[in-house]
Amino acid sequence: MTVVYSLKNVVKERINDGVGYRLQVPDIQIKAQEHVALVGHSGCGKSTLLDMLALILHPDQSDDFKLDPVDGKHYDIDKLWHRRRQSRLSQIRKQHIGYVLQSGGLLPYLTVRENIELPRKLLNLADDDSINSIARVLGINRQLDKLPGLLSAGERQRAAFARALSHRPSILLADEPTASLDPITARKIMAVVMELIKGLKITLITASHDWAHVYKMDLRTLHQEAAAVENGRIYQSIFRD
Amino acid sequence: MSQLSNIIRLSFRDYSHEWRMSGCFIFALSSVLAPMMILFGLKFGIVSTMVDGLVENPSNREIRPIGSGRYTEQWIEDYRNRGDIEFIIPKTRALAATIQLKSESATRILSTELLATASNDPLLAGMQQIPANYNQVILSQSAAKKLKVEAGQQIDASLARQFQGKRERVHLPVTVIDIASAAVTSRNVAFVNLDLLVATEQFKDGREVPELGWEGDSDGAAMRTFPSFRLYARSIYDVDTIVADLEKKGVRVKANVAEIETVQSIDQNLSIIFWIIACVGAAGFAFSLGASLWANVDRKGKELSVLRLIGFKSSVIVLFPVLQSCYTAILGWLMAVLIYLAFEQLINRFLAPRLNLDGTLCYLLAEHFFWALALTIITAIISAILGGLRISSIEPSDGLRDL
Repeated sequence: MTVVYSLKNVVKERINDGVGYRLQVPDIQIKAQEHVALVGHSGCGKSTLLDMLALILHPDQSDDFKLDPVDGKHYDIDKLWHRRRQSRLSQIRKQHIGYVLQSGGLLPYLTVRENIELPRKLLNLADDDSINSIARVLGINRQLDKLPGLLSAGERQRAAFARALSHRPSILLADEPTASLDPITARKIMAVVMELIKGLKITLITASHDWAHVYKMDLRTLHQEAAAVENGRIYQSIFRD
Repeated sequence: MSQLSNIIRLSFRDYSHEWRMSGCFIFALSSVLAPMMILFGLKFGIVSTMVDGLVENPSNREIRPIGSGRYTEQWIEDYRNRGDIEFIIPKTRALAATIQLKSESATRILSTELLATASNDPLLAGMQQIPANYNQVILSQSAAKKLKVEAGQQIDASLARQFQGKRERVHLPVTVIDIASAAVTSRNVAFVNLDLLVATEQFKDGREVPELGWEGDSDGAAMRTFPSFRLYARSIYDVDTIVADLEKKGVRVKANVAEIETVQSIDQNLSIIFWIIACVGAAGFAFSLGASLWANVDRKGKELSVLRLIGFKSSVIVLFPVLQSCYTAILGWLMAVLIYLAFEQLINRFLAPRLNLDGTLCYLLAEHFFWALALTIITAIISAILGGLRISSIEPSDGLRDL
């Protein structure tokens, strides 16, 4: 199986006057169609790592950061960041990555349908029935012409998944996508999403602080190890298998 | 292209979705722009009315020589060819420029002043015909009244001289081709072709006028000179320059400079007041719009970050606040124009008659509206650049978790 993400000694720091936080990823490889969970308590750096994987956050240090989203496409992300090739990173992101935020992140001034269509429009993909079919699978086909403000929290998250998947990316990143939902709704949504991404052969990387939930979903887990270093001035968080 | 068309669509959708906030921006802009337009309309209307009044009355553009000189036909021609002079024609000696007119309908013989005229004479503006030969004349209303004649009638013109000890009188039948309005002059004047004016002087000086069969001494080959001229500047703003030029050449002249200077000074003072208010208003608008956009970018940080996350380039997202500023500028301008037009009607219909002002008190030309729009859009775009700079400095991941 192709290795989609390959990270070695990737570091992101947020340090002011010698006090702060450091996220370290010594060595992680994620294969195509793998379903991975970044597990750790709140504030441990799961979202920071997801942002780096989504190419929207610049690592401060990296020995290797490669992305092979589909066969035949190899990107040296480290180089692109160093060369400040933001446009290239945007292009890779819009083509290969779908991202679900904890709050959904739907644009309030567009209808659910328009929100879902947006990534497809950016890629100039044809208007086929894919929006309706993905909305049917996720159970939001009757909400397509409503504004996000009129949806329940669960419906908003389903719509966010639909938007992240509408352009058929090879990678889906999800940042605690069900954290704001009740456990029953969360389980229902994740069950549908897991079915969908298995069918579409998508690599999933999700962040969660809910161990029990992750174990039930049978995901590969990347654990966080935390330690106070440099006389307790730096909170260091390391992600490894 | 896809990103550009999408950002235009999205910025407009957001703008209309947040119609209350957008409406506040539009009101804020029109509340600054409309008073400036009204102020400029008043300044332009008042000054234009005064200028029109001055321009309509040719005597305000007339430059009169003091005393007599010796002006050759070439000298007159050179001035005629200047761009700032509308009309110039020679005058003969005042004593030689009189003629006696007699009509069949009046008993009296009227001694009338002769003024040479030609096409483009501002005193006879709007007249269908201008005297083109010895036998055509336009009478002032005063002269026509006293002679009891109307346009088209023939009258007798005669002039007398003492020549070689004998008193002689010649007669010339002339047709009254038109009658000048009372506003032109209150004097008894006959506007004639320059040739007739010159012939009259020649006859009175005892010289022959072969074209009319008037006998006298031979004219010889002496170069003709004129003691005076009638000159009108093209606009009141040209009077100063022409006066200065003539005086530089030793020609002493008189003009209505004081009145013209008053209008020019009112124009300049009103312009200064207008531009001070306009600059303060525009600066206030630019700062308030800039500050609002800056705050708006913070407020919309999450939504703009989501657009980046989906794949919009930073350079395209910068257009988001710029486009929204343009919408505000266009709609604010439109509202300001409507407010201005309403006030223009009010001022011109109700205030102008109360002030006993002839003409329009407040008005703007189409190009003024265009310039107001262009300046508003430029100001809005400059202000929006503040917001744009704010966006370009935000990390794509910043703000994603605020919504």
